[in-house]
Amino acid sequence: MKAKNQRLVLVLAATGALVAAALLAMSALKDQASYFYTPGDAVRDHVALGQQIRLGGMVEKGSLHREADGVTISFRVTDGAASVAARYTGIVPDLFREGSGVVAEGRFIAPGSFVADTILAKHDERYMPPQVAGSMHEAKSLKP
Amino acid sequence: MSQWPFVIAAYAVAIAGTLALAIGSFVSMRRAERAAEALKRR
Amino acid sequence: MHVFANPARFLSIARPLTGWFGWCGAVLIAVGLGAGLFLTPVDYLQGQTVRIMYVHVPAAWLGMAGWSGIAVASLAELVWRHPLAGVAGRAVALPGAVFTAICLASGSIWGRPTWGTWWEWDGRLTSMLVLLFLYIAYIALADAVAERGGQARVAAIFGLVGAVNLPIIHFSVLWWRTLHQGQSIGFTGSTIDPAILWPLPIALAGFTLLFGAIVLMRMRAALARGKVEARLRRLGSAA
Repeated sequence: MKAKNQRLVLVLAATGALVAAALLAMSALKDQASYFYTPGDAVRDHVALGQQIRLGGMVEKGSLHREADGVTISFRVTDGAASVAARYTGIVPDLFREGSGVVAEGRFIAPGSFVADTILAKHDERYMPPQVAGSMHEAKSLKP
Repeated sequence: MSQWPFVIAAYAVAIAGTLALAIGSFVSMRRAERAAEALKRR
Repeated sequence: MHVFANPARFLSIARPLTGWFGWCGAVLIAVGLGAGLFLTPVDYLQGQTVRIMYVHVPAAWLGMAGWSGIAVASLAELVWRHPLAGVAGRAVALPGAVFTAICLASGSIWGRPTWGTWWEWDGRLTSMLVLLFLYIAYIALADAVAERGGQARVAAIFGLVGAVNLPIIHFSVLWWRTLHQGQSIGFTGSTIDPAILWPLPIALAGFTLLFGAIVLMRMRAALARGKVEARLRRLGSAA
């Protein structure tokens, strides 16, 4: 084999091994590197009461209520399977709304009952003008 | 929350960074090529 | 591969290309960003802040494409000992770092009004910050080799190893739950409405061309500096 080809094989093999190792390590980190718990995870992993965590999911449609003091809100965070009641006092981001994604930092005060200190809005990768979104919404509500 | 200040800030950062990079690279290229020319003629 | 091995031949092509890339890039950027600021509609959720996309996405692309360039140049340097590969890798480093920084800064400015935070340590944001640190380390390494001598190969090996971070950035939003949204542009289409999407390819092409012009300028500068040094050394030894 020519020296050039030998080097090529060597470098490619080393790089390939390195990439494979890194990717393996990263996907093994899946649970540790995840940025938030879903309601389902929180139940499955028995997150301790009072432990500071991030809880992420969708704000359940029809679950958002403002309490009498005007600054406290309560809503349910759902991942489709499980859902958790959450409370938060303060100003929420503009994009926080029903049917949209949310990441709440806080802790469980009782099983299934979460108190948030911080609310972040998580939006999805779809971008569209209001007219398009409006017609989509109508199309959805027209479905039986 | 008013949104335009955020948009303007993001564009300002991007345009200022790009301009500084392009002008800096151009100036250093000019200086280096002039120096090489000057040395060749000597 | 060795077509450009001769710097004189490379320069005869690079000289006219620099101006073309630079000016075409500048015009396309102006068109893309102008359209993105004034012509496209707002997003139904985000409102005006969706316009930050037209600078954020090209910056992210160039930050990652830049390191891909370093990796290819490093491979050419290590395997084929291509004389211009090292020059090319080093010329890409600073522009890549600047665009990675622009991506992080514009993303931070975008995150505040949409997510409600300037910065969060989620998978995508953290891996992009790691890319910036890799660029800084590569630049420091290449400078140290240039100043104090030593194995130029060290920087090339680092450039190749650092490429491991690229798939991590790309897949971070798929592997891990992140605050950052999933990928919106793929080979099969886009989840961005055409009315909002259309200036993005223009801005992407413009920034990419300008990036090419900047890399060519930095390569030309490095070659000219090398010429001066060689000349001075010869004059010094003759005297």
